[in-house]
Amino acid sequence: MKKNPLNGENMNPYLAGVLLGCTLLASFLVLGAGLGASGGLARFAAALEGFVAPGHTLSSEYFGRWGAHPLHYYLVFMLLGTFAGGFFSALQANRLSIQVEKGLKASPRLRLGLALAGGILVGFASRLAQGCTSGQALTGGAMLLTGSMVFLVCVFAGGYAAAHLVRRQWND
Amino acid sequence: MIETFFGLGQLDSPAGYFAALVLGLCFGFCLERAGFGSSRRLAGIFYFTDMAVLKVMFSAMITAMLGLAYCLALGWIEPGSLYFMPTVYGAQVVGGLLFGVGFVMSGWCPGTGAVGAASGKLDALVFLGGALVGSILFNKLFPVIKPLYAWGESGVLFVYDSLGASKPAFVLVLTVVAVGCFWGAEAVEKKRVGGGHYLNSPFLKTFSAVLVFLAAALFILPSAPGNLAGASAGESGAGRAGAALPARETSLLQQIESAGDHMDPVELADRLMSGEQGLQVIDLRTPDEFKAFHIRGAVNVPLSQLPDYLAPTRNEGIVVLYSNGMTHPAQARDALSRLGFENVYILTDGLQGFMDACLKPASLRSEPLPAEMVSRIDRWRRYFTSPAETAKAGAETLPPLPAVPLPGIIPTDWLGENLGKNGIRVIDVRSQPEYNTAHIPGSIYLSVDSFRGVVGGLPSMLLPAEMLALHLSHMGITPSDLVVVVPGGDKTQDATLVGMAFERLGHKRYEILGGGFGKWVAEKRPLDNRLPQITPSHYPPVGNSDTFTVDYRAVLKVVREGGGIILDVRPADYFSGKKSDEARGGHIPGAINRPFTEDIRKNESFSAFKPVDELAAAYEKLIPTKATKVIVHCRTGHQASQTFFVLKNLLGYTHVLYYDAGWTEWAARPELPVK
Repeated sequence: MKKNPLNGENMNPYLAGVLLGCTLLASFLVLGAGLGASGGLARFAAALEGFVAPGHTLSSEYFGRWGAHPLHYYLVFMLLGTFAGGFFSALQANRLSIQVEKGLKASPRLRLGLALAGGILVGFASRLAQGCTSGQALTGGAMLLTGSMVFLVCVFAGGYAAAHLVRRQWND
Repeated sequence: MIETFFGLGQLDSPAGYFAALVLGLCFGFCLERAGFGSSRRLAGIFYFTDMAVLKVMFSAMITAMLGLAYCLALGWIEPGSLYFMPTVYGAQVVGGLLFGVGFVMSGWCPGTGAVGAASGKLDALVFLGGALVGSILFNKLFPVIKPLYAWGESGVLFVYDSLGASKPAFVLVLTVVAVGCFWGAEAVEKKRVGGGHYLNSPFLKTFSAVLVFLAAALFILPSAPGNLAGASAGESGAGRAGAALPARETSLLQQIESAGDHMDPVELADRLMSGEQGLQVIDLRTPDEFKAFHIRGAVNVPLSQLPDYLAPTRNEGIVVLYSNGMTHPAQARDALSRLGFENVYILTDGLQGFMDACLKPASLRSEPLPAEMVSRIDRWRRYFTSPAETAKAGAETLPPLPAVPLPGIIPTDWLGENLGKNGIRVIDVRSQPEYNTAHIPGSIYLSVDSFRGVVGGLPSMLLPAEMLALHLSHMGITPSDLVVVVPGGDKTQDATLVGMAFERLGHKRYEILGGGFGKWVAEKRPLDNRLPQITPSHYPPVGNSDTFTVDYRAVLKVVREGGGIILDVRPADYFSGKKSDEARGGHIPGAINRPFTEDIRKNESFSAFKPVDELAAAYEKLIPTKATKVIVHCRTGHQASQTFFVLKNLLGYTHVLYYDAGWTEWAARPELPVK
């Protein structure tokens, strides 16, 4: 069971899930809101655009609502925490390594191209659905919200529908 | 009772940032520990090679769901301290599908991408760059995709309510489904890649049993809150804290009962004019409607953005919501109340109520007014209809109010003066060849038959409100428009049938052109044969404004028990049964006959309603009082629409009902009595 070093040292997924669930519950009880990642990311996007074209961003209808300081937002800090938490865990588990993760037979260009295109879609779709797998599917799912459940089902529907088309990147 | 940062309105404070940072740390740690710093592992779920995403995500969701359900049931936290995201069906379906495609392409989602990048994955870094680009792209395209963003906006919805189940039942079912998925995932892994190490393991058996037990225990929990909730003093006076209503819900219901959540138009007008600090008036209608007219000082905020908009000034001052009707503001107020906003009021009777109570000129009011009231109305009108305000909003002028009641009959010279002004729309209901040859400039053609169809097996029924609203949207009509309907020849009933559609939608701003197209032509007024330019609008299908359409049961009740008048407006030969083109001839027992044609006078070049006094005298003989219940009907509901209009809008009868299905249905139901 030491074929893939990444797999070998993973925690029991169910216990990892319970731990994650407890974190989410703590977030409900302390913040009054669940976990989220895309919200913080979008704030960085607004800050980036604001840095390049300040007047334009403030007058735009969507980013403009966040005012002149889009980074003054709790999810920005949560995202920073997520980075740091991931870093500590990877450091501790000895899993820090600079690499492009892909199938053996796939070219890095294909993998990075798909990562970029997928990223653009995910960034766009999270704004449209007002959240991502964390902020909408997981958080809203635990709150039993109708829209979040609908979103979750659609994420998997979309994923399975497109899975075959992009499988080459994982070919060994 | 736990107070959250959200509940205190301090999410975006240094302490809130610190808490979010710590929670983020735990979040990132959990994700990495679960192996989600690997895109290959994440993508595995889509190829059935590694089901870790399903196991971790479902375990986490069920854990948090059960934990939260227990905390709520035990009264440790109030729903008002939690931020519940609104459901926006369309946006979440489309967003979910796009997200899924992006997820499988990149192998990352935003949270795991951050963890992946932190552990050195370059593909995660590229993914995050892409997500930034995607967010910026969304901002750029927002003006275009705004309708999609708000498509299917439904406020805060719980899935058990949407499915009509109880909360504990749904929680149990979802938990059992999750456990089933765990076992299924293990079996799939075993079969596909020789994994599935937990299949049939004592661990998975115990884990499954514990989850199901905890879910099932929620059923019995609310019955014994006292000993479990411990010494939670004060607020838990609601008794059965879990199954019964939390304190906030109870006080919300009490407020609704006492109408303590309403603000009277007159009070709002006075408070706005006094320049009260901290009073926020929010218009929930569409931007176009807002642009056309709004209460001075109001801001336009879409429903979905309301919590975000109000968050910075949470519970400061007073917030008043309004729309055309009362439904949306009331739903928004309830949702906001659940989110902990306790200073939100709704404007009584909506914008129309405000118009009627404050802006309707004293000269047009039927009731005599004391001089003091007249001067107040003048002051309101000066303040709220001042050109400065409307010009600022980008509209040319306020739709001028005609000097006749709404709805009613409008003289041709009024239309001649006001034709083409902002907010005035003309609908021509003559035949298409007639319209195409020449029509009033700018008028829109409408075949009245497009407003009718088969509903519940009955032919020629006025269509449901949503379909009528859709028709009006395609015609570019908005709820604030003043609509003038133009009949041709002696077919006034075509115009009144369109009037029934407006009645059903609660659209009071409509008028019928007196004398119709014939009078317009006879007076040699301008004509045109070009087709108008129409920009589709969004006419919201306002809730239940139709309290006047009745079915055969209501009619049968009057036949058997009395308590009203049945007015059959068909020609006399059909009433007597001499002529018939239905299943049976004759009339409903006890009905009286007043053919609709009796209300119309034909002149040389046009037909028009008889003078109001003449009509009033005729109907006085048939109907004892203005408050008497009158059910009007004909064969299909077409002719009856005219009598309905006469009684309700011209003569002020207050309890006029419309048996749309009419003789067609009555005659075809052999069990119904016929005379």
